[in-house]
Amino acid sequence: MKLHFTTTHEDHRVALLAALAISIYIVESAFPSPLPGVKPGLANVITLFTFLCYGWKIALQVSLLRVIISSLLLGTFLSPTFLLSLSGSLLSLAILILVQYLFRPHYLVKYQPSAIGYAMLASVSHISGQFLVAWYFFIPHPELFKLLPILMSFAVILGIVSGIISQLLINKFCSKNHK
Amino acid sequence: MFTIGHVLFKVTDFFILLLIGSLIFWLYVVFWSTNTQYGEAETLLVQFSDQSATEYPLHTDRIINIDGSLGSSIIEIKQGKARFIHSSCRNQFCVSHGWLSIVGDSAACLPNRISIHLKGSLIPYDAIAGSQ
Repeated sequence: MKLHFTTTHEDHRVALLAALAISIYIVESAFPSPLPGVKPGLANVITLFTFLCYGWKIALQVSLLRVIISSLLLGTFLSPTFLLSLSGSLLSLAILILVQYLFRPHYLVKYQPSAIGYAMLASVSHISGQFLVAWYFFIPHPELFKLLPILMSFAVILGIVSGIISQLLINKFCSKNHK
Repeated sequence: MFTIGHVLFKVTDFFILLLIGSLIFWLYVVFWSTNTQYGEAETLLVQFSDQSATEYPLHTDRIINIDGSLGSSIIEIKQGKARFIHSSCRNQFCVSHGWLSIVGDSAACLPNRISIHLKGSLIPYDAIAGSQ
């Protein structure tokens, strides 16, 4: 018996973007990090691009697929690493959705942040989400908070970088009719 | 609103950067200023393996000699600070760690299974290691 799926154009788009994000994430996790906890987070460029170009529903699908599938491939599914990854992506996406919603009124639309603003918010909330989960569930030690400002500083810098990359991607691949 | 190359910057981005920047500055101030929020370091906890820790007051200078799995470790308490001065292990990480003086500071000799930890007067806490 043959299984028949009817897939929409949107499904193909989700699959393509998720595949891209997963590949980037896995290549990135092969490189050792100079500082534990600091990672370029280039896979989040894809999430941000998806969010800004195709909207939050597709971004949520891509983000969840990225977290689940890459953890299965790396063998960290349901481990603390997986939980950290999940909490970070969900919080950063939640913040993105919230900020976009705040700038929805017509008199605020022109003040809508650009990709760089969104990227900074995303990376800072990503690390905060991970940090809080790590602190609450795994290492409830007050001294851990000494790491938070350092991690946040790196998050801002790397956020700006990923914002610039996302902007370039949007310029190149995001045609206006998707918006 | 302006562009550099093909990258768009908006006023809101600078507000966001300012907001996050001040948040980070505040975090540095709160968590990196003098660490008095947990009180003064008062006792030294010395632990061997999974046995319960022995407490030593920090205000009396003394030399503690404790036997670990490999051999003896010597810990010194002096003027409210503590350090390993000798350990029967190869790498001597615990000795080169130097003085512990702030609440929450700890040093450990894993091969010898001995760890020391400074406890404060205000909040007695413990670290719980995650699985894996």
